[in-house]
Amino acid sequence: MKKSVLYGLLLPGLLFLGIFMVVPIVLTIGSTFYRGGSLTLSGYAHFFEDSYFNQILLTTVGISLITTLLCVALGFPTAYYISRKKARSKGILLAIAIFPLLTSPIVRSFSWMIILGRKGLINDVIVGLGLAEKPLDILYTPTAIVIGLTHLFLPIMIISLVGVLENIDTDLVQAAQSLGASRLSAFARIVFPLALPGLVIGAVIVFVGSLTAYTTPALLGGKQRVISTFLYQNAMTLNDWFLASVIAVIMIAITFIVVGLMNRATHQFNPKG
Amino acid sequence: MALLTLDSVSVAYGSQTILKDLKLDVEKGQLLSLLGPSGCGKTTTLRLIAGFMEAQQGTFRFAGEDYTRRPVNKRNFGIVFQSYALFPHLSVFDNVAFGLRMRKLKDSDIKTRVGRILEVVSLGGFEKRFPKELSGGQRQRVAIARALVIEPDLLLFDEPLSNLDANLRSGMRVEIRRIQQELGITTLYVSHDQEECFSISDRVAVMNKGLIEQIDRPETIFKYPATEFVARFIGFHNFVNFAERAESDGVITLRAGDRLFAAVGNPGTNHPSALKGAIRPDDLVVTAGSEAGPARVGSLPGIVKVSTYLGRSYQYVVETALGPFTANQEMEKPFYSGQSVTLQFPPDKLVLVD
Ligand SMILES: Nc1ncnc2c1ncn2[C@@H]1O[C@H](COP(=O)(O)OP(=O)(O)OP(=O)(O)O)[C@@H](O)[C@H]1O
Ligand SMILES: [Mg+2]
Repeated sequence: MKKSVLYGLLLPGLLFLGIFMVVPIVLTIGSTFYRGGSLTLSGYAHFFEDSYFNQILLTTVGISLITTLLCVALGFPTAYYISRKKARSKGILLAIAIFPLLTSPIVRSFSWMIILGRKGLINDVIVGLGLAEKPLDILYTPTAIVIGLTHLFLPIMIISLVGVLENIDTDLVQAAQSLGASRLSAFARIVFPLALPGLVIGAVIVFVGSLTAYTTPALLGGKQRVISTFLYQNAMTLNDWFLASVIAVIMIAITFIVVGLMNRATHQFNPKG
Repeated sequence: MALLTLDSVSVAYGSQTILKDLKLDVEKGQLLSLLGPSGCGKTTTLRLIAGFMEAQQGTFRFAGEDYTRRPVNKRNFGIVFQSYALFPHLSVFDNVAFGLRMRKLKDSDIKTRVGRILEVVSLGGFEKRFPKELSGGQRQRVAIARALVIEPDLLLFDEPLSNLDANLRSGMRVEIRRIQQELGITTLYVSHDQEECFSISDRVAVMNKGLIEQIDRPETIFKYPATEFVARFIGFHNFVNFAERAESDGVITLRAGDRLFAAVGNPGTNHPSALKGAIRPDDLVVTAGSEAGPARVGSLPGIVKVSTYLGRSYQYVVETALGPFTANQEMEKPFYSGQSVTLQFPPDKLVLVD
């Protein structure tokens, strides 16, 4: 096929993305620097001076980081185990791992509300065993949000890790062991670096997903606001579209910074990966 | 005493037994190759010795110590994998240095030793390249260098040349032999290519279904296969079942039907009761016409059934009273199908096998 025809095929997709994504983003970003007929940074100055806003921002980033770390910590061993299985059992295990993705976040959040609440399963067990006198406050705290988000995103982390891990030849691990490496150091020096691309992709998706998640923090977070619920509140309840736009731009900026940092990190670890 | 001894080792994958009661001795400094058809258990034997698999029964002794349950990373064996198994994220230097780093050597020592070994495999100047940026032959040599640099007590090769083209293969096997002899490293070499095994080995072990059928010097195996399986595997396509045998003055006389044959017999291992003869297609002599007069010893009349041009020679399938025989012969004008011919069995080429 001719080059021009191929480019022509790109056009519908590009138009769609241009009209419905690039233009609104550019307009949103532009609008945050323009108020009362003149260019200004007051929107951002106002945001970063307000300690309430800062607390929300920090909490959200913190929740996203912890969720990402938890997903890595829980996902890596699971993915490694799955990737070493034969094709048949691998398929079954992957299906089980992905299954939670097939239920809606709302349903899952309600399940967690039942499990984490003051009269929930966890508190029943803790009080029943006498580990604490009174039920713990887990629901409607950042901890509940982290639990909900980890549950939400763990399958994605597992899929993206299995993808890279199953392509690592077992010969490589055996070669490392035959050269004197213990299981642990063969893992650290061979498996881990080779899995980094998948790890980074998984981590970016989990982090950005956690940063922008709405339903889970809205249902499990109680009074604790995160950026996205705060944005919604400003736009829909307080009708402050200017502040909502500023928040949106800050979210976009964080996303780009995180993706950039992650990419840099992979290149440093894995120059020829 | 042998450096390496497998004593009645059995290995199974699940319920399927792969190696049964395997016995193997390797002397220090020797290159022993395991030769056999696909699936006979060569790789399994190698993986057992390397420590990637455990024996269900029997012991593996190395240098007088029991290695049966010793972990892989405590064996100090160098392994060259069929896939090379180079670490894709590490440079040539770091690949080769891996084992030395595991041994916690000083950086300066690592540098000299890696440099020296890369010279041995003719890869000086390639330190900074990554595996992706090397040709198949170069990757192979990095894999060898990486196994050699740790000064292994034993070197294990699993079909290291099977991914290379024919030219490179013969070059590399000379190279492997040279390095092995220069450094005097005891080596176990797995291949299903008999020419490769014969050309580089001190001794060859021919395996069949998890058993070793014969261990001998390459020349001995080539001339005097001990069993029918070995004979078939190394190109003896013709077999004769004899009815009886008699021996006098070092010459064995054999009878099949109303025909008599003579064989010199294997000077090393004698098969005092073997009644099966084997001969290569190249060693059968075909002459025109059926003989007149009384039957001579070692000749057999027949009729050409198929005649095939092989390039340097012609190949004939000759139907006889003792069944079909395949014979190769260099000649100007070939015999035609249906022609009466006589097959001659030279006594020094007719081998008796179990
Ligand atoms: N992981 C495994 N699980 C079950 N059976 C296996 C496994 N690996 C090998 N086998 C079986 O063990 C037998 C011996 O295999 P092995 O790999 O040792 O053969 P090989 O002599 O190296 O053959 P090749 O020349 O094809 O490499 C084969 O029948 C094979 O099917
Ligand atoms: Mg094999």
